[in-house]
Amino acid sequence: MHEIKMNRKKDKGFESPRPFKLTHQVVCINNINFQRKSVIGFVELTIFPTVVNLNRIKLNSKQCRIYRVRVNDLEAPFIYNDPTLEVCHHESKQRNLNYFSSAYTAAVSAVDPDAGHGELVIKVPSELWKQGDEMNVLKVYIEFSLDQPKGGLHFVVPDVEGSMAERGAHVFSFGYQNSTRFWFPCVDSYSELCTWKLEFTVDASMVAVSCGDLVETVYTHDMRKKTFHYVLPIPTAASNISLSVGPFEILVDPYMHEVTHFCLPQLLPLLKHSMSYLHEIFEFYEEILTCRYPYSCFKTVFVDEAYVQVSSYASMSIFSTNLLHSALIIDQTPLTRQCLAQALAQQFFGCFISRMSWADEWVLKGISGYIYGLYLKKTFGVNQYRHWIKEELDKMVEYELKMGGVLLHPTFGGGKDKDNPTPHLHFSIKHPHTLSWKYYKMFQCKAHLVMRLIENRISMEFMLQVFNKLLSLASTASSQKYQSHMWSQMLVSTHSFLKSISNVSGKDIGPLIKQWVDQSAVVKFFGSFAFNRKRNVLELEIRQDYTSSGTQKYVGPIKVTVQELDGSFNHTLQIEENSLKHDIPCHSKSRRNKKKKIPLMNGEEVDMDLSAMDADSPLLWIRIDPDMSILRKVEFEQADFMWQYQLRSIFLRYERDVVAQEESILALEKFPTPASRLALTDILEQDQCFYKVRQGACFCLAKIANSMMSTWTGPPAMKSLFTRMFCCKSCPNIVKTNTFISFQSYFLQKTMPVAMAQLRDIQNLCPKDVLNFILDLIKYNDNRKNKFSDNYYRAELIDALTNSLTPAISISNEVRTVDNLNGDVRLILEEITRSLNMEKLLPSYRNTITVSCLRAIRMLQKNGHIPSDPSLFKSYAEYGHFVDVRVAALEAVVDYTRVDRSSVELQWLLNMVQNDPAHYVRHKILSMLGKNPPFTKAAESPLCNEALVDQLWKLMNSGTSHDWRLRCDAVNLYYTLFGLTRPSCLPLPELGLVLNLKEKKAVLNPTIKPEQGPDTTEMTGNTMGVHIPVMGFTSSLDEGLITMETVSSVSMSSGVAPPPQGLKRKLDSVVGPLGSSPPEPGQVLQEEDSSKKFKIRFNTMEEDEIDMESPHDSQAFIHHHLNILERPSTPGKEPPAVDQAVLSLPVTPLPSSFSKESTSSSKHSGHHHHHHEHKKKKKKKHKHKHKHKHESKDKERDSHAFSNSPASGRSVRSPSMSD
Amino acid sequence: MADPAVMAGGFSAIVGRSGCGKATSSPAENYQLARRRTLQVVVSSLLTECGFESAEKATVESLTEMIQSYISEVGRCAKAYCEHTARITPTLSDAVVTLNEMGFNVDTLPGYAKRSQRMVITAPPVTNAPVIPKALIAGQKRTHPSHIPSHFPEFPDPHTYIKTPTFREPVSDYQVVREKAASQRRDVERALTRFMAKTGETQSLFKDDVTAFPLIAERPSSIPYLSALLPSELELQTLEETDSSEQDDQTDSENTPVNNLNDDPGADKENSVLPAGGMVPLVKVSEENMIDNPYLRPVKKPKVRRKK
Repeated sequence: MHEIKMNRKKDKGFESPRPFKLTHQVVCINNINFQRKSVIGFVELTIFPTVVNLNRIKLNSKQCRIYRVRVNDLEAPFIYNDPTLEVCHHESKQRNLNYFSSAYTAAVSAVDPDAGHGELVIKVPSELWKQGDEMNVLKVYIEFSLDQPKGGLHFVVPDVEGSMAERGAHVFSFGYQNSTRFWFPCVDSYSELCTWKLEFTVDASMVAVSCGDLVETVYTHDMRKKTFHYVLPIPTAASNISLSVGPFEILVDPYMHEVTHFCLPQLLPLLKHSMSYLHEIFEFYEEILTCRYPYSCFKTVFVDEAYVQVSSYASMSIFSTNLLHSALIIDQTPLTRQCLAQALAQQFFGCFISRMSWADEWVLKGISGYIYGLYLKKTFGVNQYRHWIKEELDKMVEYELKMGGVLLHPTFGGGKDKDNPTPHLHFSIKHPHTLSWKYYKMFQCKAHLVMRLIENRISMEFMLQVFNKLLSLASTASSQKYQSHMWSQMLVSTHSFLKSISNVSGKDIGPLIKQWVDQSAVVKFFGSFAFNRKRNVLELEIRQDYTSSGTQKYVGPIKVTVQELDGSFNHTLQIEENSLKHDIPCHSKSRRNKKKKIPLMNGEEVDMDLSAMDADSPLLWIRIDPDMSILRKVEFEQADFMWQYQLRSIFLRYERDVVAQEESILALEKFPTPASRLALTDILEQDQCFYKVRQGACFCLAKIANSMMSTWTGPPAMKSLFTRMFCCKSCPNIVKTNTFISFQSYFLQKTMPVAMAQLRDIQNLCPKDVLNFILDLIKYNDNRKNKFSDNYYRAELIDALTNSLTPAISISNEVRTVDNLNGDVRLILEEITRSLNMEKLLPSYRNTITVSCLRAIRMLQKNGHIPSDPSLFKSYAEYGHFVDVRVAALEAVVDYTRVDRSSVELQWLLNMVQNDPAHYVRHKILSMLGKNPPFTKAAESPLCNEALVDQLWKLMNSGTSHDWRLRCDAVNLYYTLFGLTRPSCLPLPELGLVLNLKEKKAVLNPTIKPEQGPDTTEMTGNTMGVHIPVMGFTSSLDEGLITMETVSSVSMSSGVAPPPQGLKRKLDSVVGPLGSSPPEPGQVLQEEDSSKKFKIRFNTMEEDEIDMESPHDSQAFIHHHLNILERPSTPGKEPPAVDQAVLSLPVTPLPSSFSKESTSSSKHSGHHHHHHEHKKKKKKKHKHKHKHKHESKDKERDSHAFSNSPASGRSVRSPSMSD
Repeated sequence: MADPAVMAGGFSAIVGRSGCGKATSSPAENYQLARRRTLQVVVSSLLTECGFESAEKATVESLTEMIQSYISEVGRCAKAYCEHTARITPTLSDAVVTLNEMGFNVDTLPGYAKRSQRMVITAPPVTNAPVIPKALIAGQKRTHPSHIPSHFPEFPDPHTYIKTPTFREPVSDYQVVREKAASQRRDVERALTRFMAKTGETQSLFKDDVTAFPLIAERPSSIPYLSALLPSELELQTLEETDSSEQDDQTDSENTPVNNLNDDPGADKENSVLPAGGMVPLVKVSEENMIDNPYLRPVKKPKVRRKK
C-alpha cells in the first residue's frame, strides 16, 4: 500500500500514490435546476497509467449519483463506497469518543486521495489491460448528477416571486479543504494537478463563473440557455476548482481589465466601492514577490450564505456578500480589504502553488499568511501589524496552553497509534477533515507566525527571494506539457521549502524548524529581576514551565531590552538547560537629578519626570523578547510592586512600541493607583498614540477605577475626558454632532462609553451619572451632518447600556413584571425597545443595532430584570434574517439553554443544526454550544441523558457526513459535553464482564467504575436533602438498577428501592436490542438513503473478491462489507477502550436468541461478527470469510496504518495494490 | 328692477330657500318670504292671464322658481356689465344689454307693459328690510390719502393688509436647539414606532403586560442581505448633502440602487443588460472601448452543427 512519505527527510521528490497520472479533466455541467436544486453533468479524466496492467482506478466522489462510467468508450463497472457516510455501524452502545475518532480517521484514510484511495473504484475493462504496456492514455468518462446536495454546492433560492434570475437565486461551490468530490468525481487531492476544460450551461439570464479563462459563451439552440466555456491551462488540483452561477451583476475592474467582479443584483454600487481598492493589493504582492499574478485573469464573486468569508480557488475567489459596503461605512472597510488581501495571497500560495501532502499545508498557510502580514504592515502601518502579530500570538499561545500543542508538520511513522503525535487531542490531525475548526484556525495562525520567525532568522530579503524562487519554478513548470514531468514543481513540500531557504540564505534554520514546526507547543517564561547596586548589575531570572500541557522547553537565544537612564540596550541571553539567572551589566549610574533627556530605542530623546523612580537604580524598564521572536507567553513578575508600577507608568507613556504599550496596559490592571490612572489618562489624551492602545487603556482605566473605588476622586473615570474631547464647548452635557472625520477619535468615541459603563460604585451598581451620561449620548446623537454612517457607534452605545446592567435585587423566583421594573432599567429598556423598533423601519448596515439590542435583552433577562424567555431570540434566529442577527439571537438561545438548562431549547438548536439551509449558521450553533456548553463532562446536568447522547452521536456519526467542518464541530461538542470516554449518563452496558483479548482473561468492565461516582452525586446532589422524587429520576434509578443487577460486586449506593416502572423500562432496554434478532447486514441497508441507491449492471467478468456478477445495489454491497469489517480484528493496536471486545454476561434469563448469540460469540471471540451474516447470502459469506482471512494475514505481515479501521475501504482494494 | 336690494334679496332667497317651509321668525327671512309670495302672486296672475283656471301647487312653485332665476340672472348680469364699465350702479343701458344678451327683445317690453288684460299686483307688504349684519370692524380704517378721490372705495379693514408676525423670535441658543432637535426626533421616533407596534404584530418582553415595551414583530425576509447592506435612502440623502460636490462618481454610484429598486429588472438598464441579453452594456462601450473582458463579449450564436 502506498504510504505518503510524510517524513521530510525521505521525500526527495514527489511520488504519486496512484498507479496513474491525471493530465487533463473535462467537467461539463449541462443542467442546473434551481427549482429542484439539482445538477447534471459529466466529467472526463485523461489519465496515463504508470503501471503495467492498470485494472482499477480510484477516484473521489461523494453524494454524486453516478449513471455510467466508460473507459475509452467501453462501459466499465464501478463501485461506489463512502465509509464516511456513517462512521460507526451498529455501534449502539459504545458511544465513546476515542472509538469514534479512530473510526472516523480510519474512514477518512480509507478514501484519502493523498494515499491513492477514493470512494469510487472503477474497474478498467479487460480489453484495455493490454494497453497498459504501451502506457496509452485512458479516458474515463463519468456521467453523474447531484440532487439537493447537502455539501459541496450550495443553492440559495430566495422564496419570492419572479424568475430565478429576478429572485437572485444562485449556486456556488464550497467546502473545507479538498471538498470538490462533493460536486463532481475527481481526484480530490491538492497534489494531483491537471489542466482543465470546464463547461457550464446555464439559464440565459445567469452567469457561470469558474476557474480559468472564459473562452466563449454560446447560446444553446433554443436560445434560452448559454454555455460558458472555460479553459484552465495551468495545472491545477481539483480541490482548487470552483463554480458559482447566478444572475450576477458584472463589474470590470477599472484599473485592471482582466479582473472581473461579480455580485448579486442591486449590489453593484457597493461592489464598485468595495473593489475600488483591489488593484493596490495586486500591485503590492506583485512587487514584493517580483512575480506577476500567475493566472491570466482573476474573478471575485460575492455570494449570500457563504460557507466562509473568503475562499480562494484557482483564478477566482468566492466571498461572502456581507463584505460589501458603501462609502458610508467605516468599520467594515479595513475588514473587507483584509479579506481581499488574504484571498489574493492565497492565489499565489495555495492555488497556484499547491502542496504535496497535508503535512506540508503549513508552508502554504504560512507563506500566504506571512505576505498578508506584509501587506497589513504596508497598508495599515507598523502599529497595526505589530498589534496583529501580538494578537495572533496571544490567541495561539492561549489555545495551545489550554488544548495542548498545535503541530505544524506532523509525521506519521508506521501508522501505529502509539506514534500519534498529538495524543492530547480528541481528534486526529492526520487529515484535514478530522481537525477541529478551531485547531485549524490556530494552525494557520501558528504557520504564519513561524514564517515570521524564519524571516527574523534569515531576513526579509532572503525570505522574499525564496518565495520568488518557488513561484518562478512553478510558473516555468506550469507552462510545460505534462510529458516533461515538471508539474510536481508546482507542489511545495516542507522539504523543498527548507531546501530553498538554505540555498538562498545559506543559513541553517534546522533548530528553529525542529522547535516550532516538528514539535507542537509553546514556551512559557516567568521572569523576575533584582538590581544589584554594588555591582551595578541587573540580575535577571528567567524560568520556564515546560511540564504543563501545551508547553515545551526552549533552549537558545533570547533578547532582553533594558531601558536605562542613559539609553536603551539590547542584550541577547542564552537560555540553557540549567542557567536561570543572567547578570546584565548596567551602563548608567543611578542619578539623583530629577529631569533628564532619556534616549530611547528609536533614537528619540524624551523628557521624563523621574521623580517617581527609585533613586538608586538606573533601570527604567525591561522587556523580555520584545520582538516576539519566540512563540511564548511571558509572565514578568517583579517583587517590589511600587517600583514596578512606577516603571510601568513611565514605560507606558514613553515606550513607542505598541506591543510594549499593550503589555503594560495589561500589567497596570494589577496596580490600581493614582499614578496608573494618570498614565492611562495621558495615553487617552495623546492622539499620536495608536488607537487600539487607547481603546485598551479605556478598559484598563475602568478596571482600575473600580479597584480604586473608595479612593477615587472627581467625576467618574473618562467622563471629563470624553466631555472635553467630544462634547460641545458651550454645553458640556451635549455631545457634538457626529463628523467621524478623524477615525482615531471615532474609535475612541465608540469605545469610551462602553468602558465607562463598566464602572461600578460601592453598591456594585453602575454610577447614576454614568448611566445618564450614556443615555444623553444616545439622546443627543445627531448624524445628520455626517458623511459616514453612525450605525456602529449607536450599536456600541447600546453595548454600553448592556455593560451598565447589574443583577436585579429581588426575591428569588419572583415573577418579573413590568411594575417592579427598576427605574434605571426602565430607561434602558425604553432605549433598547425604541432602537430595535427603529431598526425595522430604517435598518442599519449589517443590522448592527439589532445585534446589540438582542444582546442587551439577553443581558436584561440574565440579570433578572425581565422574564427569561427565549422565544424572542428564537424568532430572530429563524432563517430569513440577516446572518449577524441570527448568530446574535442564537448566541442568546445557547446562553439561555445553559442558564435555564432547557432541553427544549437544546433540541431546537440541534434541530437547526440538522436542518438549517445556511451552513455557516449550523457551524456557528455547534461552535457556540461548544464555547458555552449547556453542561460539561465535569458537572452533572438534567440535560445530560441518553437521548441526547444518541442524538449527538447520530449527528456526528452520520448526520453531518456532507460537511467536514460540521462533523468536527459535532465531535468537539460531544467532547465538551461527555469527554473522551463513555458518557456518564448512559446506562451501564449490559455487560458486566469484558474479555480482554490481549491478555485472554475476563475482567470487570472498566467503564463501570468511573460511572458509579457521578451516579450517586447526581442522586444526592439534585434532590437537595429532600427524599428522591420517584418519577423525576427514573433514568438515574434505571442506571442504578442495571448496575445492581448486572454486576453483583457493585452495590447500590443510593439505597432506594427500585420503583416498578423503572424495572419495566430496564427490562425493555435490556431485552430490546439483544432479544431481537442479531443485526444483519442487509437490514441496515434498508435504512440507507434511498436516493443514493442505484443499480449497476456489471459486465460478466472474472473477479477475485468482489461479486460483480449480478446487478445489485452497490451501496448495499459496500455496507455489507463494512459491517463485516466494522470491528477491529487485530487486538493490541487499539486504544484501551476499543481493544476489549465486550462480551455479554447474562444475569437474568433472556430470550434464547440472546444466549445463543452470547455463546457463539464467546466461542469465536475474535471473529464473532461473522455470525451476524445474512443466511441468504451464502455465497457472499464465503467470500467474506476468504477476504477476512486475507486481511488478517495482511496485517500480520505489515503493521498497517489503517489496520484498525472499522470502516475501512479495504474491502475494495485489490491485493495487488497493497503490495 | 335692477335694484341692488332686490337682487340681493333674490340671491338670498335662493340661498335661504331650504328654510322656507319652516316657521321662521327672523326679520331677514320674513322679508324674503314676502318677496317670494309676491312672485307667486305674479306667477298666478300671469297664469290667469293666460287663461288657466287652476294650477297645481308644484307647478306654481316651479314657475316661481324659474321666474326668480330669470330675474336674478338679469340682475347679476346687469351688475356685471356695470362693473365692467367701472361703475358701481347699473344703468338702464346695462339692463337693456343684459336682456338682449339673454335673448329677450327689449322692444317688445313697452307693448307688453301696456297690454290691456294686465293685472295689477299689489306691492309686496312692507316688511323691514333685513338688517345687514355689521361687519366686524377691526382697527381704524384708513382714510384716503390726498391723491385718491373720495369716491373711490374705502380702504378695507386694516387686518386684511397689515402683516402681523405670528411666530416668535427663533431661539438661537445652541443648547436649546440641540435639546429640541433631540427631543423632537425622539418623539417622532417613539410615536412612529408605537404606531407601527399598535397597528402591526408585536412581540413582548413581559408576560404579565404585553403592551409594555412592545416590539414590532420581526419579519423574515426572503433576501435579508439587501436591507442589511444597502444604505437607506435617508443615509443617501445625507451623503448627497454632505459631499455632493466632492465626489461626483460616488454619489452617482450611490444613486443607482434606488433606481434599481424602482426599475423593472428586465428593463435594459446599464447593469443588467449583460446577464439578461448578453449584449455589451451600452454605456460601458462608449466609455471603455478598450476593455476586452470575456464577460463583456457578446454571446455567440449556436453553431449549426452542434459540437460534441
